[in-house]
Amino acid sequence: MTGILVGLIIAVSLIVLVQLLRVNELISQVKNEDPNLVNDDDNKSQGLLVFLIAGVLFLGSVLWQFKYWGIHILPPASSVHGATIDTLMQVTCGLILFVFFITQPILAWFTYKYRGNSKRKAHYFVHNNKLELAWTIIPALVLTPLIIYGLNVWNNITNVDTSNSQVIELYAKQFGWAARYSGNDNLLGSTDFRLVKGMNELGVNMEDENAFDDFITREVHLVVNKPVLLKMRSQDVIHSAFLPHFRVQMNCVPGMSTQFGFTPTQTTAQMKEQEGENFDFTLLCNKICGAAHYNMKMTFIVETEEEYNKWISSQNTLKNTLTLK
Amino acid sequence: MSEHHKETFITKYIFSLDHKMIAKQFLITGMFMGVVGMTLSLLFRLQLSNPGESFAVLEFFLGEKWAPGGVLDPNMYLALVTMHGTILVFWVLTAGLTGTFANFLIPLQIGARDMASGFMNMLSYWFFFAATVVLLSSLYVETGPASAGWTIYPPLSALPEAVPGSGLGQDLWLIAMTLFVVSSLLGGLNYIVTILNLRTKGMTMMRLPLTIWALLIVAILGVLSFPVLLSCALLLIFDRSFGTSFYLSDIIIGGEALHNTGGSPILFEHLFWFLGHPEVYIILLPALGIVSEVMSVNCRKPIFGYKAMVGALLVIALLSFVVWGHHMFLTGMDPFLGSVFTFTTLLIAIPSAVKVFNYLATLWRGNIRFTPAMLFAIGFVSTFITGGLTGLILGDSALDINVHDTYFVTGHFHIVMGVSAIYGMMAGVYHWFPKMYGRMMNKKLGYFHFWVTFISAYGVFFPMHFLGLAGLPRRYYTNSSFPMFDELTNINEVITFFAIIGGLVQLLFIFNFVYSIFKGTVANENPWKSNTLEWTTPVERIHGNWPGELPTVERWAYDYSKPEFDEDFVLQTVPLKENEINH
Amino acid sequence: MELLVKNKTFKQLLWIGIGSIVMFFAGLTSAYIVRKAEGNWLEFDMPIWFTFSTITVIISSLSLWLALKNIKQNKSASEFLIATLFLGFIFTFSQIQGWKDLVSQGVYLTGEGSNPSGSFIYVITLAHLFHLIGGIFALFITTIKSKLNIYSKDNYLGMELISIYWHFIGLLWLYLFLFFSYS
Repeated sequence: MTGILVGLIIAVSLIVLVQLLRVNELISQVKNEDPNLVNDDDNKSQGLLVFLIAGVLFLGSVLWQFKYWGIHILPPASSVHGATIDTLMQVTCGLILFVFFITQPILAWFTYKYRGNSKRKAHYFVHNNKLELAWTIIPALVLTPLIIYGLNVWNNITNVDTSNSQVIELYAKQFGWAARYSGNDNLLGSTDFRLVKGMNELGVNMEDENAFDDFITREVHLVVNKPVLLKMRSQDVIHSAFLPHFRVQMNCVPGMSTQFGFTPTQTTAQMKEQEGENFDFTLLCNKICGAAHYNMKMTFIVETEEEYNKWISSQNTLKNTLTLK
Repeated sequence: MSEHHKETFITKYIFSLDHKMIAKQFLITGMFMGVVGMTLSLLFRLQLSNPGESFAVLEFFLGEKWAPGGVLDPNMYLALVTMHGTILVFWVLTAGLTGTFANFLIPLQIGARDMASGFMNMLSYWFFFAATVVLLSSLYVETGPASAGWTIYPPLSALPEAVPGSGLGQDLWLIAMTLFVVSSLLGGLNYIVTILNLRTKGMTMMRLPLTIWALLIVAILGVLSFPVLLSCALLLIFDRSFGTSFYLSDIIIGGEALHNTGGSPILFEHLFWFLGHPEVYIILLPALGIVSEVMSVNCRKPIFGYKAMVGALLVIALLSFVVWGHHMFLTGMDPFLGSVFTFTTLLIAIPSAVKVFNYLATLWRGNIRFTPAMLFAIGFVSTFITGGLTGLILGDSALDINVHDTYFVTGHFHIVMGVSAIYGMMAGVYHWFPKMYGRMMNKKLGYFHFWVTFISAYGVFFPMHFLGLAGLPRRYYTNSSFPMFDELTNINEVITFFAIIGGLVQLLFIFNFVYSIFKGTVANENPWKSNTLEWTTPVERIHGNWPGELPTVERWAYDYSKPEFDEDFVLQTVPLKENEINH
Repeated sequence: MELLVKNKTFKQLLWIGIGSIVMFFAGLTSAYIVRKAEGNWLEFDMPIWFTFSTITVIISSLSLWLALKNIKQNKSASEFLIATLFLGFIFTFSQIQGWKDLVSQGVYLTGEGSNPSGSFIYVITLAHLFHLIGGIFALFITTIKSKLNIYSKDNYLGMELISIYWHFIGLLWLYLFLFFSYS
């Protein structure tokens, strides 16, 4: 029934539209001009519209969005390297917005100012080498320090000293996360995917001594200001460990191990004060991985050393949980 | 001499060897697929802005299996997103854009009777048609169409147990893409050889309209990069169907450990993006070429800096081969490699900036005529600036860490491809419609179409940058799983609202297009008073383009408002006056 | 289209197409190199049949060259074309024997005991054979046309085109053979 009604509405609209166009044509036939050629009046109105819409309205809406939706962006980074990323982002955005708010108004203004009329002619201006050089060299000169700056930040992030970092493994699978702590020896036991069975969800090789003090959790606790090295693995397809508040992201690829080192600088408690009681540092999956890609989460809790030690003491090592006693 | 051969309905409309007819075949198929792709996006946008809510229209389109009770199934969500991307990137913006305008414009603008091989050209379209049929059929298979994203990373795309669409749906996708690549290669070969060999007397390379330069460079990009996609796909086919381990290793799926060891999904990514990145320039460059043409004609001024524009196209094309790693910053690849790709990616900003400044300089002191095509060209410049600038953030590896695979990326690539390149395509359709069909498209409907589209497009894609900076990942079925995203709901609603409006107004464009083919006001030979050769062909359109001798070219394509002439345009065939400065 | 222009354009079309095929195999051989560098790579000898294939394909290029030489002197090319076709079939047979040889050596495409180094050889040589068989089809049509006396010293574009393609496929095999043997 709804289908027939919709069909009828479409059909009637089409007929009305066609008739309107027909009428329009007949009127123009009387006036002896092609209604589809552009005249000076069109240029005046469209030129004005470009200025008003692509200029004023668009740029105004951009400012509005910054004001009312800009508040939703992530809070400042809660990690050492994250702060350097935030600064780089601010500098880059500053540059981008500078260029944006110069070129867009020029576009809108030129389009309005030079709207056509049949009484004048355009200016025959073919090329100007000085101008070309200027707007090739200036972008190059502006981009060079930006590139160097960016490469510097990247280099520091990827070559961070991890010799004192606490090693924690993040294990991704359809559709959830597990974390494996490396224990007191700070060494993760080796793994083999063929060992995944029953309680041994992560395929840890229990013949490797390093695995004895490992333990698995569904929630990650970190000590504030202590460096940590996350090592990622995947059980099935490509996932991606995304910790937006720490500015951490790294793909989890089956068949290989990836890693990302960082140091958290704020406790969960501090963030709750800042952002509200409902805040938590969260791990999300950020690479399409199947039906429940949208629902892979794990909480990260950053706390003081005492709180961390209390939590640790309640964890059970793999030696106890996986091997027969 | 034009070729006289007896034309039947079949040889004229179906298995045509006439490049103009083949162009229209590409255009119509591209437009049809555009409607399909756009509809898919509206379906999943409904779910995104109103998660878990029931929509009768979802059940109407997708049936009870994939939208039980009107609520979208999560697997089908991924399928819709995948097919939307595939259809729009390849079917609409590659075949629909290049297939239409390369076929239509190349012989006409260089002064040739037809392409070097009309037969290969005809094959190019029919391979494309076959690819279309196969891809559309994949929408109806029981386990659903391909669902691993248009980028089909394995293992997700290799294992039906990981997502149902990776079964038959993915097989059909791979077959369709193979046919598609063959079609593209057949076309590209023709475009290159025709431009290099069949230019008419006097048409030197530096007298070519910029559109032809862009199409030539795009064709070269295509013949060099599409084959690598084929090699990438071949290895995937073997992993999927013959148990090899090119991309697969150490996998447990559906509770079973697979036998594969030694494979690397990252190898797939390298091969895929080696095509994938040039692909987006294959999409962008024709639009750049069309906009150069449309702007110049409608500003009644030469395009500013013709040589620099050609140079910029060449540099962009060359650089496009060495930036692919910026899609892979976070795959665990060597950080030094990441630095190299950041460097090359940010370099591309320079020729792109040159082009934008040259467009602005073309507008300066012009005498602008606002045809609907010109409005779309101006819209192109606006969105190319916006989208290009956010590329500076994404190309910087350190900044990419927090925006990779978020809506920031989605906003960026939609603004440059889904808006800029589409605007280029629209500008082309409105501009060359009189030459394609001998009639004018309705101007008022054109204006309405442009303004509603312009406002809607920015309304959909600009807010996405904020979603991305808030940490919202892409390809999420719903954002309601994480409390941190609850405050973003109203932004998502605004986006869906504009998406629906923007989508619906395209129907008006299609109506205008179809209506004008039959009932549009009759055009004369050169309604835009343009210089280029296609406007010297008769309105009746014949196979062989010119009824008598081929035209001879005496000047470049951009003598608009030249002081030595009273008229504000000079056809390329007009000989130089005595003492006239030649460009 | 004038015959001279037609000759030039069709040859260019073929050369660019060959460029595309080169890129296809470049993708595959790059993947091979990248994967090999990661270790866990089974080493084995090339089957002797592949050496035989190499010799066969070189001879087939020779016979095709002789066919072209003949038609330029307005002599019959059909015998040499048929010889080339025959050698093409021998090449195909030899490749299949080569694969059988690999299997008996314990080098498999897939399954238990397979290794990417084996998988790559199978896939790449199969892809090459596929392109050669395409050449056989074209050569078959050329041979028929030759038998029907369609070619002459003023009109042998079809023969030139299949020659260019055939020599390319032969050279491609030579490159792949040396690549697998010595990389």
